[in-house]
Amino acid sequence: MPIVAPSLQVSSDDFRWPAEGVTRAPYRLFTDREIYQREQRRIFRGSAWNFLGLEVELPNPGDTKTATVGETPVIVTRDGDGMIHAMVNRCAHKGALVCLKKKDNVSSLTCVYHAWNYELDGRLKSVAFRNGVRGQGGMPGDFDASRHRLQPLRVETFCGVIFGTFSENLEGAESYLGPDMAAFIKRNLGRPLRVLGTHSQTIHNNWKLYAENLRDSYHATLLHTFYTTFKVNRLDMDGGIVLSDRKWHHLSFARRAQMTEAAEYRNSNVHSASYDSVLEGPGLLKAWEEFDDGITHSIQTVFPNMCIQFTLNSLAIRFFAPRGVDKTELFWIYLGYERDSEEQSQMRIMQSNLTGAAGLVSLEDGCINEFVQRGTRADPQCSSFMEMGGREVGSEKNSRATETAVRGFWQGYRKIMGF
Amino acid sequence: MRSVEIPTCEMVTDLIGNYVHMLDDGNVGVWPEFFTVSGLYHVTTRENYEQGLPIGIIRCVGRGMMTDRVKAFHTANIFEPHCYNHLVGPAMIRGGRTPEAIASRCNFQIVRIMEDGRTALFATGKYLDEIVLDGGVAKFKERVVVLDSRNVDTLIVLPL
Repeated sequence: MPIVAPSLQVSSDDFRWPAEGVTRAPYRLFTDREIYQREQRRIFRGSAWNFLGLEVELPNPGDTKTATVGETPVIVTRDGDGMIHAMVNRCAHKGALVCLKKKDNVSSLTCVYHAWNYELDGRLKSVAFRNGVRGQGGMPGDFDASRHRLQPLRVETFCGVIFGTFSENLEGAESYLGPDMAAFIKRNLGRPLRVLGTHSQTIHNNWKLYAENLRDSYHATLLHTFYTTFKVNRLDMDGGIVLSDRKWHHLSFARRAQMTEAAEYRNSNVHSASYDSVLEGPGLLKAWEEFDDGITHSIQTVFPNMCIQFTLNSLAIRFFAPRGVDKTELFWIYLGYERDSEEQSQMRIMQSNLTGAAGLVSLEDGCINEFVQRGTRADPQCSSFMEMGGREVGSEKNSRATETAVRGFWQGYRKIMGF
Repeated sequence: MRSVEIPTCEMVTDLIGNYVHMLDDGNVGVWPEFFTVSGLYHVTTRENYEQGLPIGIIRCVGRGMMTDRVKAFHTANIFEPHCYNHLVGPAMIRGGRTPEAIASRCNFQIVRIMEDGRTALFATGKYLDEIVLDGGVAKFKERVVVLDSRNVDTLIVLPL
């Protein structure tokens, strides 16, 4: 048995979820390094499909991009036959990163350290000086190139989204999404896409605080006051929340045309309703009705690390990668469709001002989760309280004044983590 | 033939200098006045800029959208209070895309100072400007802020 100094002995085995269940989340979950390591094993490298990217990012044979699954660096490639592959970005020789560029186009992958060369599917192609130099050195005679390769991930694409997992037993990606989630992804991404721009944001909080935040329809119109005032999204708009079978994915949607102003907004002195609603640059919210279901605003999450946002006509993928127990990188990919007219593209471009690192609506999310991180770190034994909309975990077709999707996240999280 | 009035080099460097002092002093309310009425303010990343991708981080077309940003800053957006300190390099000044415009390019570094004293390098990049005379005063017809990094720490709410 290894000898570990008592002060270094950390374990999540003593972790017990409060008896109140998923209406509570212990603050320890946001600061505990051992829990964080367990998440890397059980979630990111375990039984979950991770968002790796979009097929449109790799249009040509030989295209590569780098990504991370949790903290594990990966390479995503498109081979000569058009097949997508993903593998750990770590040379089978000494473990160096093989790809450094965010994007590239290559005929094969070569580690710069000792020039080990791999096919685009990760199989080892050649080893420099395998037979030595001038008859001296070289690999042993029993060296078998087929036994050394870049560690592969299982890859599946759905509506142009590339998902990857380390699990060999996990169900297929579409069944992992479930019928309701898959149908809405089809609605939003089921046609040729065009990338309009990307950037990322470092947020100084545990990744789960952002995962909660995405599912928190209760906060959206209270914190994000720009939303409310310009009637882009309010809780008195017709809308609801759909949870997947395992409750860990969610879809929150609203119909702007069907808003009747609730007295609660006028009477309760809600800060967000007090903002002068006349825009001097009305071009910002110029929009068109894009789908016949009347839904003008939606946020959809896919556990663990993906979100699809459709605010008016602003379509974007958000995904995130943990960069430590209290740091997360949040990525934005703004999209349009290939079929978009110039005028439609312009509307998507203008509406991109609503979200992102400087989003008029969403910029608060850059700091609010950090406020929770800083507010909770001294008291890991305390818990948050989440009983808005009751204590149940289920879809809520008529209201978004609920924390049901956040409770759903924790339900899925507890199961996969064994907590 | 009538000659076209263009800003002098001194007017250009004054505009660039006054702009950063205005922001660093916290006078964001007058920020839109540094632009022509239909002026463009676009913050993007080098990666987007070099690929010609249209969506960056902020895009204000016209002073109205800038005024909305200022209003949102004062009344809607929620963030931890902070201020900037800009350091701007020498401007490279050339003829603009149109006869009445001057093109200028300069580097910047922005240090962000949080209310509790945390001070750190926040952004580096370049200002790509088209500057014209508007009623005899030099203004930005276009200011494209190209950030070197794809990554923004926490958020941007004050103009850069």
